[in-house]
Amino acid sequence: MPTSLIIIIVIALVLVLMYNSLVAKKNQVENIFASVDTNLKKRYDLIPNLVASVSKYMEHEKSLLSEVTRLRAEATKPDISDAHKIALDAKITSALGSIMVAVEAYPELKANENVMHLQHTLHELEEQISASRRSYNQAVTDYNNAIEMVPTNFMASLMSYRRKQVFEIAEGERQNVNVKELFN
Amino acid sequence: MKKISELTDFYYKSLFPTLEKLEKDRKNLSHRIVMAGIILTFIALVIAYILGSFFEFIVAGYIILGSLIYRFLVHDYTHEFKLSVIKPLIHAIDNSLDYSPSLHISQHLFEHSNLFSKPDRVRGNDYVKGMIDGIRIEFSDIHAEKKTQNSKGKDNWVTLFQGLYIVAEFNKNFSSQTVVLPDSAQSTFGNLIGHWLQSNNGARDELVKMDNPKFEEEFVVYSGDQIEARYILSHSLMEKLLSFRNKSNHPIHVSFKANHIYMAISYNKDLFEPSIFRSLLEYKVAMEYVKTLHLAVGIVEELKLNQKLWSKR
Repeated sequence: MPTSLIIIIVIALVLVLMYNSLVAKKNQVENIFASVDTNLKKRYDLIPNLVASVSKYMEHEKSLLSEVTRLRAEATKPDISDAHKIALDAKITSALGSIMVAVEAYPELKANENVMHLQHTLHELEEQISASRRSYNQAVTDYNNAIEMVPTNFMASLMSYRRKQVFEIAEGERQNVNVKELFN
Repeated sequence: MKKISELTDFYYKSLFPTLEKLEKDRKNLSHRIVMAGIILTFIALVIAYILGSFFEFIVAGYIILGSLIYRFLVHDYTHEFKLSVIKPLIHAIDNSLDYSPSLHISQHLFEHSNLFSKPDRVRGNDYVKGMIDGIRIEFSDIHAEKKTQNSKGKDNWVTLFQGLYIVAEFNKNFSSQTVVLPDSAQSTFGNLIGHWLQSNNGARDELVKMDNPKFEEEFVVYSGDQIEARYILSHSLMEKLLSFRNKSNHPIHVSFKANHIYMAISYNKDLFEPSIFRSLLEYKVAMEYVKTLHLAVGIVEELKLNQKLWSKR
């Protein structure tokens, strides 16, 4: 076999491998975002219930509650981009956190079984969301590394792959105790 | 749970009369062992001198006979020690724990964790079982070995694991398996090659890169599910495992499977055995018993296994 043919085969093989690894990384990101999305939706489903059960008592936090409702409505719109979803998630997380802190001031709420159940479910969901968010960030980091590092960056720019955004994880969340700790 | 200092107090105060008695037995015993050793060596030398050949057989016989005699001599003392020192010590930690000096964790539970390759022989002793803060826990000394054959076709036993093996209920529900192993590849071959080796480990599931640099340095994580691995290994659990690793000062292997945590701490020796040539009253000897037991039972508190999530209540 002529040397030139061998070189062409080797180059083709390398290109195929690079292409496949990039596609695999992109799909991994999409795959994991799908489960982030599922977990986020579970939380959105909880919000109306939560707002309904606390609004009777919470007179001074009306604006906070309507803010959460508004954010939820925005997040559940069908055609929003992933980046927008990520931004909304950060806002909802902090708004829910504020509501949970506010609940502390109402002894009737703290004793309410329905609210307690919601809090625990929310806490469980927060754990799952946190896990899927961290997986997503890792997948995005791998993907971003691949499209910026030599030699896959040439291939990536040909395929017009763009950098993706990661979830910002708030310092408080790193402790991983957020909601539940407040109520024990 | 009682602190180490309280347990040390218990060891030196409440167990003191027993220890004093055992200490006498121990001195007698070490005397007898030395005497038996001298006599056996003398006989072996005489036989070797008379025969003038077959040295391999004489050495082999010497070793086998020696270990048999040793075992026979220490048997009663070991039994006495376990019942009058280890058992009260375990009950001092928690009265509800059951202790059996001769049993061990079943081979099934050992294999179930998938931490080590399938052993051909599992031995062990000092089995402890019970509930701590509503969490079922059991642990024992385990020595798992694999049989290999050398070039002459002779059987050779290779140790897969020797040390403390702990099984406890975990506080979260999950369906896939996640294992946390000591990171040997990355520390030996450096980050790039080590990482490449780890991600191509055919015997394990997918490599999971964790977002805690210290944890990543110390351990390598494999799991069937990227998200669930992070659901189990929350930031706080990673910190706790790191501090547990530092506290135990021995390599630890952890497996999360079927809502249980399996933890293997390699001490590479049989634990909770009485010291024969060192005094039982020596601080270092005492501390080893106390610390190891405290570490094993303390896993529930240390890893906060008793803080169950809503879905497990």
